[in-house]
Amino acid sequence: MKTLRALLTTEIRNFTRDWAMLFFTLLFPLIFILLFGFLMGGMGDIRQASVGLHVDSDAISAEQLTDLVSASGVRAIQMYDDEAQLQTAIADRVVDLGLQWNGERLRAFYDASRLQENFAFQQLAGGIATDFDLARQQAIAPIQVERIHAGDVEIRSWFHLVLPGIMAFSMLSAGLFAVSGHLTQMKERSVLDRLLVTPMRPTALLSAIAAIRLIIVFISTLITLFVGVLVFDMRFEVNWLRYAVFVLCSTFGTMGLGTVIALLVKRPSSAGNVANAIAMVMMFMAGVYFPVEFMPQFLRTISRAMPLTHMADVMRHVTGVLEMSSLRFWLTCLTFAVAGMALFPLLARYVVKPSRR
Amino acid sequence: MKDILQLARAHIVTAIRERVTLFWFLIFPVFLLTVLTLIFGQVNQEPTIHFEISLVNEDIASGTDSFSALVESILVQMSMPQPNAETPLFTLHRALHGGSPSFLEAELTALRRGDRAAILVIPEGFHQDILASFAGGGAGLALRLYMSEASITSETAASILEQTLAGINREILVRGGMYDDTESIEAETVWVGQAEDQELPYIDFVLPAIVLMGFFTNGLFGVTGTILFNRDRKVLQRYWVTPVNVPRYLAGFALGHLALCALQFGLLFSLGKFVFGATIGFGDPLTLFLLLLSAVTFMAFGFFISAVSKTANAGMAIANILNMPMMFLSGMFFPIAGLPAFMLAIVYANPVSYLLEGLRRSVGVQAGTLMPAQLTILVPLGWILVSAVVASRKLRWDVER
Repeated sequence: MKTLRALLTTEIRNFTRDWAMLFFTLLFPLIFILLFGFLMGGMGDIRQASVGLHVDSDAISAEQLTDLVSASGVRAIQMYDDEAQLQTAIADRVVDLGLQWNGERLRAFYDASRLQENFAFQQLAGGIATDFDLARQQAIAPIQVERIHAGDVEIRSWFHLVLPGIMAFSMLSAGLFAVSGHLTQMKERSVLDRLLVTPMRPTALLSAIAAIRLIIVFISTLITLFVGVLVFDMRFEVNWLRYAVFVLCSTFGTMGLGTVIALLVKRPSSAGNVANAIAMVMMFMAGVYFPVEFMPQFLRTISRAMPLTHMADVMRHVTGVLEMSSLRFWLTCLTFAVAGMALFPLLARYVVKPSRR
Repeated sequence: MKDILQLARAHIVTAIRERVTLFWFLIFPVFLLTVLTLIFGQVNQEPTIHFEISLVNEDIASGTDSFSALVESILVQMSMPQPNAETPLFTLHRALHGGSPSFLEAELTALRRGDRAAILVIPEGFHQDILASFAGGGAGLALRLYMSEASITSETAASILEQTLAGINREILVRGGMYDDTESIEAETVWVGQAEDQELPYIDFVLPAIVLMGFFTNGLFGVTGTILFNRDRKVLQRYWVTPVNVPRYLAGFALGHLALCALQFGLLFSLGKFVFGATIGFGDPLTLFLLLLSAVTFMAFGFFISAVSKTANAGMAIANILNMPMMFLSGMFFPIAGLPAFMLAIVYANPVSYLLEGLRRSVGVQAGTLMPAQLTILVPLGWILVSAVVASRKLRWDVER
């Protein structure tokens, strides 16, 4: 017990003295959150869109169109005297989309280079065109549709799902690098060899490293979550018990994955690079930044096989953004916990094994 | 000259032999280009989309000639295999006899768990209410469309269902004599900034960004890593006991680096052109100049980081910190127009923003947005100058004794 306490103290000191590790564990997720929060916050939100209008003043129903655009909930409407002005305003991004009505034809103008946002703008223009078409003939749509959000938490933008995804990614990185970065570095610098000639058991060292990592990852996810709530005024319904269980189980499980990497690479120093490459591939494939539903079927299948996909989904679940069956939640936690526990003896053997040179 | 060429060759061979280098310079950009094109190149193409939709008809008592039955039959028809399509747009889940509250509850749970894209509920009395609305001229009882804002699939499915219902509305109004189809407005779409007035293919938009990203990571990690690790491991020290001096080493290194960039560009361009059907060309003199300027700017930036870092690990840490913010705050993958002022300041200081805009302009996929055309060249040149001055003053070419 005394050994473990000493090792715990050492690990805390190591961690707090290593500014790079501190930065990447605690501050890096925050940079991601701020970056993507501002980048994605208003993307595709028509309430923030501005519409440029060019309407022939003597065109029939011109006023009706202006009223309909006003009622669509866009942020601003800007009037233009001719088509050239309207096109210039769109190209210069003074307005997001344009509508032109000459009494017979309704033309919608989009900036061809705004590929990420045009889908939302097209939906907006399509809705206005349908309503305008009916309004001109004083017809009222007999079938009305009321959209009802089925979830418990109001989702303002895709970023509401990205934030828990980033938290999951930082857990994955921290877990992977705990073994493939920290332990392999200790091995390479022969620190492990020196420790092993003392009465210390390898499991005590591993327990100390794992315990400190788990605590720090837990704190890091909390900071990230609170910054997201404070800066972006987001609301989450956190199930704290499940949150704690999941963060601990999944971080432990990803440490197991780090063990596999450490065992497979020839040189300890390569483990960090391999872990970095794996984390980056997973980041783009696991639906952290782009919805998995956007992917073709074969990519979706690959995505489902990745631990980060499940980590992001469960993190969304425990923060109340995504519903999930209890069975799936506990099964995911159990899988990560078992993976961590099963690989722990392997990790212990890795620690005592002389490094390959 | 021979020694410079040999140094360039050594740089290329080392980079290709190193698996990590190979991954970041060649495999990762190729992976990213492939994934992004496969994901965003197919968005909104309906034949590739398939939804799971539920229908709850609470107005089954109105009979088979009712509006409720009409909506139901059209949705059933759409869920049947179509003659020209491989799969129908959606699979329709519905209870045989309308729908009980427990069925709706179960479907709502499925929707929240992502197993359904949307649920359409036809409320009881829907048919009678539409008839009443015809008589009174008002709107009928609304259909309830349950969807999840947390799912893009659900958003898309809801939009498609709304479009379908708008079509049904028009049909009902035409048949009721309340809408003249010959008087309907003519709708047209215009794509600003495209010569052929067509929507820009995603590959044309993303290819210049990935090429630039490749050059950027090449400069940021490749230059910093090679210079600092070679210095700290005393590889450079061995060079200095030969007739090779720093300027000759630099010339060889720069030549090798540019050759690596050319190799990377060739691979990405071929993939974009021949696999994903990119229509843009990079043969224009201005485009070629901008590609060269990009490679040189990022190489100089790599030297800048090497100069301000004490050790190789510190250099790589700085590169890692700068990598994501500089890439994402340039408009490579996400629009940057709506960013707050403090973030726009980073965008305007970021050389990647200028080079990206210049490159996209020169290949004809983007009109000027952020800055005048001259700045897309002048600012990167300024960065090269600043980096060169800092590197010449601060970069140590040998380990401290």
